[in-house]
Amino acid sequence: MTAATLRRLIVIGLIALWEILPRAGFIPELFLPSLSSTLMAGWNEAGEYGHALAVTLYEVAISMAIACGGGILLGAIVGSLPRPRILIMPMVSSLYAVPLVILYPVFTVWLGIGSESKIAFASIYGFLPTMLATAAGIQTIDPQLLLAARSMGATLSQRLVRVIIPAAIPTVLSGLRVGGALVIVGVVVSEMLISSAGIGYLISRYRTILDSPHVFAGVLLVLAMAIAFNAAIKWIERKAAIWQTGTRAGQNAAEEIAPTLQPAT
Amino acid sequence: MQPLANITPLKPAGAIEVRNVGQIFKTTTQDVVALEDVSLDVKPGRFVVLVGPSGCGKSTLLMMMAGLRQQTSGTITISGAPIPEPDPNRVGVVFQEASLFPWLTAEENVEFPLALRRVSKSERRAKAQDALKLVGLDGFGKRHPHELSGGMKQRVSIARGLVQDPPVLLMDEPFAALDEQTRMTMGDELLRIWAATGKTVVFVTHSLTEAVYLADEVIVMSPRPGRIVDHLQVSLPRPRTYEMLSGDTFGTLRDRIWRHIRKSA
Repeated sequence: MTAATLRRLIVIGLIALWEILPRAGFIPELFLPSLSSTLMAGWNEAGEYGHALAVTLYEVAISMAIACGGGILLGAIVGSLPRPRILIMPMVSSLYAVPLVILYPVFTVWLGIGSESKIAFASIYGFLPTMLATAAGIQTIDPQLLLAARSMGATLSQRLVRVIIPAAIPTVLSGLRVGGALVIVGVVVSEMLISSAGIGYLISRYRTILDSPHVFAGVLLVLAMAIAFNAAIKWIERKAAIWQTGTRAGQNAAEEIAPTLQPAT
Repeated sequence: MQPLANITPLKPAGAIEVRNVGQIFKTTTQDVVALEDVSLDVKPGRFVVLVGPSGCGKSTLLMMMAGLRQQTSGTITISGAPIPEPDPNRVGVVFQEASLFPWLTAEENVEFPLALRRVSKSERRAKAQDALKLVGLDGFGKRHPHELSGGMKQRVSIARGLVQDPPVLLMDEPFAALDEQTRMTMGDELLRIWAATGKTVVFVTHSLTEAVYLADEVIVMSPRPGRIVDHLQVSLPRPRTYEMLSGDTFGTLRDRIWRHIRKSA
């Protein structure tokens, strides 16, 4: 049996257990409602969940654009210029060690409990790993490659397009993977804490009235969002690999850097 | 009136002229004199090796011949004209680490300098094929650098240096990272390529054996400030063979270089 089939069997087994165990009475429905009653609860309130999903997706999309766009831009600047690096990197690194969620109540004071405070929090949350990965990706480019390109008469813009960007792509993508996942976490967590809309808000509200099937329906939606995001990143990675025409060395480097980019919370 | 006085006499392609060249590195605390009053003539088609202890400025001199660095004083001309910036039509450069782009195939790496100049795809491919054939890598064009051995990578690197058919090939310790056996084989390969193409080669190395084995002329340099302390003609016949390594002429020449280097070490 290959690892892939085994993995699929485990997932199918877990789904089956989710249905069987609560139904057979081994687990109280309050702790874990069966899969069918969870789906049922979600289906019955489809309008409410749909609206919540739209709010959450909107917040995730804006935060993702700010976090990834800003992270790559600032990371590229900090990675290629030593002066801003000396100035900014120690601050960013120590900020990264702080559990940023403590700032969220402050954001709600400044920006209210609507989408703005979620977007602000999730953007900063996802921005840091993206920026750090991009800076690392650009800093770790072999200077010999740039020298070689120069010896072949490459102009500055040719070096950027033909050497720096392709060499940095694998590390930037690994940063996007972590940063994007943190954006989703940031939005959902902040909705759960203080808010009036979104999936996180629904989960939190149904929890207070002990309506487990509705809580788990919200959990399922967040799960689906994370899986979709992961699939999107994989797709981009495949595209980039084709563009770079296969960079096993680069991907190895990305995997070496990825473990150092675990979030503080 | 002397109308002809200002016209530079035409130098044959591949001639290198170094006149009273000095190089001073400015650091925050002091100025380091890397090279002092270096003069040197390399005739077209000659194989010249620069040797000397670490820090004697031999690589610096090579980088200046490549237009990758500018001298503080004096002049350098390649084929009769100064070289204020890298010019792959006049000079090909091969570095110590093969410095191939890992995301490109061997073929695409060789095509790189042509792609920078927007040479048509078909012409690029044809020239890259010729260059790869010349270095003995016919049929390996589709491989990525990580699929090639150290020696093969350097062959690709040489092919890349030669693809625009420059009259001069500069090599900065190209075989230093290779094991002894590969190094010997690559030395013979380089001599074969040199004989086939008639390029002017300036080759920097630490290895005295390699220097005498490959060279028509060996230039010995002293450590900081780098100066030329000896200029030997290697009278050994071509083609060079492994048996010559144990001969008297070879030993005498190597000893003479060693005495210079030992004095300064």
